[in-house]
This record gives sequence, C-alpha cells and structure tokens, in this order.
Amino acid sequence: MKCKRCRKATAAIELRSHNATFCPDCFFIFFRRQVEEGIRKQRLMSRADRVLVCVSGGKDSLVLWDELLEMGYDAEGLYISLGIPGYSDRSKEKVIAFAEARGKKAIIVDLCDEGVPIPEAARANKKHECSVCGAIKRHFFNRVAAEGNFTVVATGHNLDDESGRLLGNVLHWQKSHIARQHPLLPAAGEGLVRKVKPLWRLSEQETASYAFLKGIDFVIEECPMSEHATSLIFKEALSIIEDRMPGSRMAFYTGFLDLGNPVREAMGRAAAESGEFEPRPKDDGTPAGTHLCDRCGAPTLAQTCGYCRMKAKTVERAAQDAEKKTTEAQKASGKETA
Amino acid sequence: MMRMICVRIPQKKRIFEIPGPRVVKDILAETGHRPATVIVTMGKQLLTRDHRVADGETIDIISVVSGG
Ligand code: SF4
Ligand SMILES: [Zn+2]
Ligand SMILES: [Zn+2]
Ligand SMILES: [Zn+2]
Repeated sequence: MKCKRCRKATAAIELRSHNATFCPDCFFIFFRRQVEEGIRKQRLMSRADRVLVCVSGGKDSLVLWDELLEMGYDAEGLYISLGIPGYSDRSKEKVIAFAEARGKKAIIVDLCDEGVPIPEAARANKKHECSVCGAIKRHFFNRVAAEGNFTVVATGHNLDDESGRLLGNVLHWQKSHIARQHPLLPAAGEGLVRKVKPLWRLSEQETASYAFLKGIDFVIEECPMSEHATSLIFKEALSIIEDRMPGSRMAFYTGFLDLGNPVREAMGRAAAESGEFEPRPKDDGTPAGTHLCDRCGAPTLAQTCGYCRMKAKTVERAAQDAEKKTTEAQKASGKETA
Repeated sequence: MMRMICVRIPQKKRIFEIPGPRVVKDILAETGHRPATVIVTMGKQLLTRDHRVADGETIDIISVVSGG
C-alpha cells in the first residue's frame, strides 16, 4: 500500500474515515492540519495564549503536549498524581521523562501531599473514585492556572472520547450535560479558566499512531478505576459502527457542533424546566449565587467549595483511621506485656 | 522446529504463535480485534491492514482504547 499523499513512500497508516493512506511524514502533516483546524474552527485559542496542558502519562495528553510545543505554543504540562498505588508512580515517571527530553519540567501536584489521594477521598466521601477524581482535577486545573498566569487549560480528549460521551448523553437525554458538551468551555468570571480540547478531530487510533511513530513512551496500562467506566460501552458501540461505516464518528460529533449554540441553549432551558440543576449565569458568565470559597478562594455556590468540603472529610477520616490503629496497637502491646 | 509468526498483546501480557504468512487484517479477525480499536506494529514499523506478515516475524497488537 502506497501513501496517497506523496505517492512515493510505503503507507504506514490507513485512515478509512478520511479515505486516505499515509507514510509517517505525510501522516504528521495530516495530524498537524487536523489539530490546527480543530483549534481554528472552534476558536479554541491563539499563539498569544499561555497553555496549561493536563498530562496523565497516557498517550493522548502527551501527544497533545508534544504537538503544541512543535506548533510553537507556550505550553507547560500539569501532572496530578492521583495517589493510586503503582499506577500513579508509573505514570508520573513517564511524564517526567517526556518533559526532560524536551527541556521542560512538568508542574506536579501530588494528591497525597494535598491530603486527598483518590482512593481515600472516594471512601471518606462515599462516592465513586471517578466522580471525586473529576471534581478534584477541575479544582487544580483552575488553581494552577491562576497561580501560573495560564490563560487556557488543554486536555487530551480525542474524537472517540467526545463522540462516545455525546452518544451517552443523547442516549439518556442528559440535557444539562448536552448543553455543556463542547471542545471549548469559556472562562467564567474569576477563577474558572477557559478549557479546550484541541484533539477533538483526531481518533484514538490516530493519536496512538502519532505516539508510536514519534517514539513517545507512555503508560499503556489504564487507571485501574477505568474498568467500570460506562464511557467504554459507548466508545465500543461507536467503534462497531465506525468499522462498518467509516467516518460515522466524525459525522456524529461535527453534526452536533454544527447545530451550534441554539441547540445547546435549548437543552439548557429544557434541563432547567425539568428540574435538572442548572444555575443561571450572571453577565460575566459565573453562575448566579457564586462567591468565593471561605477556605481556598475558589468560586462556589456554597460557603465552602466542593473540593474543600471533600478534603475536610478525607482528612478527618484519615485521622480517625490513624487513631484506630494506635489504639489497636496499644491493645496488642498491652496484651503482650500482660 | 517450525518457524511461525509471533503475536504479542502487551496490554494483556499475552504471547502466542500462528502459522504464516498471514495478512494483518486476517490476524486481527482471527484474534477477535476490530481494526479501528488497535494499531499493529513490528519493531519501529506501523503495519497497515494489507501487510503480509511472514514466518519468523514478531508483531505487537496494541489497543488504542483509553478509559476516562
Ligand atoms: S478512571 Fe476515574 S479515577 Fe482514574 S483517572 Fe479517570 S476519572 Fe480519575
Ligand atoms: Zn507520503
Ligand atoms: Zn503520592
Ligand atoms: Zn475551597
């Protein structure tokens, strides 16, 4: 199979959704164009932005950081160590090595040091790991962005992620989620930074091919919590359709984006009418009733923000556990001496 | 000893052998992989679905599906 672009080199990748075959060099040109188009079409950001890239050690986020650097963006990486034994250490190593090879130093937040490792935070708050993880990560995206004067936060979500999420949202008619699903979430007032997904036009196979051809060393294992992720079901369903009808994923997602704001706004109104929680935004975009958290200063609808309340419970629970251990140890040693 | 194609699936820590020569597309079908969910590699090379793998060669099937 020959590259359909240069018509000379042997093809390394066949993209049925684009009816194309590429050699490695031509594939990188294609990839760059898709990222550029994704940024331009949805006005995600410009070269004047200071970009905070959220890297997990997985392929998509490292590919995103790599490509933004090559495109000449002012881009720094943020790694949040989740405190998941084994997985967190291995993914952190990959991020550090990746950054070093490019003369960069990743900004690292360790949730153990912050008192909110994901497994403990989930247990103390009686929530699923992924739901506390999402809230905690969002908190640090905003906090680190504000501290480091970043104007935009970028994540490595790809076309498979976004189309899968859209399918899940539509299947269950989660109106408030549909209202908010977009590769661009604008900044809202103080403390809520703009969030973008520059890889929204690229499939997972394309990001994996890029990572492989560039020799980017990423963690191939998944976060152990992702096993129960329902998002995988929607992705799988779409990949079955994609195999039979190449291009369906892109058509589904771009079709949604092309419908534009009116549809998302209508979804938001419908959500509010049906009682799904959807605070009305103020003129500057912050939800009505927002003020600053009394502990950390993040914008919140309550007196104390969700993150700080979660953290308080986690720290309290850890203290109780430690106390239990000491009493047990004392009892045990008491028995020995008796 | 007969030489065969060595197929590795690193994420599942699986290795097995199949008789060659065989086209990538057929290997994927026989091992129950949908083409859009994996990349197939040999050394530093990325293989397309029509690539013919010969006996004595080793290929990796890498899943591209991530959780989050
Ligand atoms: S799978 Fe869940 S716990 Fe793991 S990184 Fe993703 S959201 Fe966090
Ligand atoms: Zn070419
Ligand atoms: Zn830690
Ligand atoms: Zn707070």
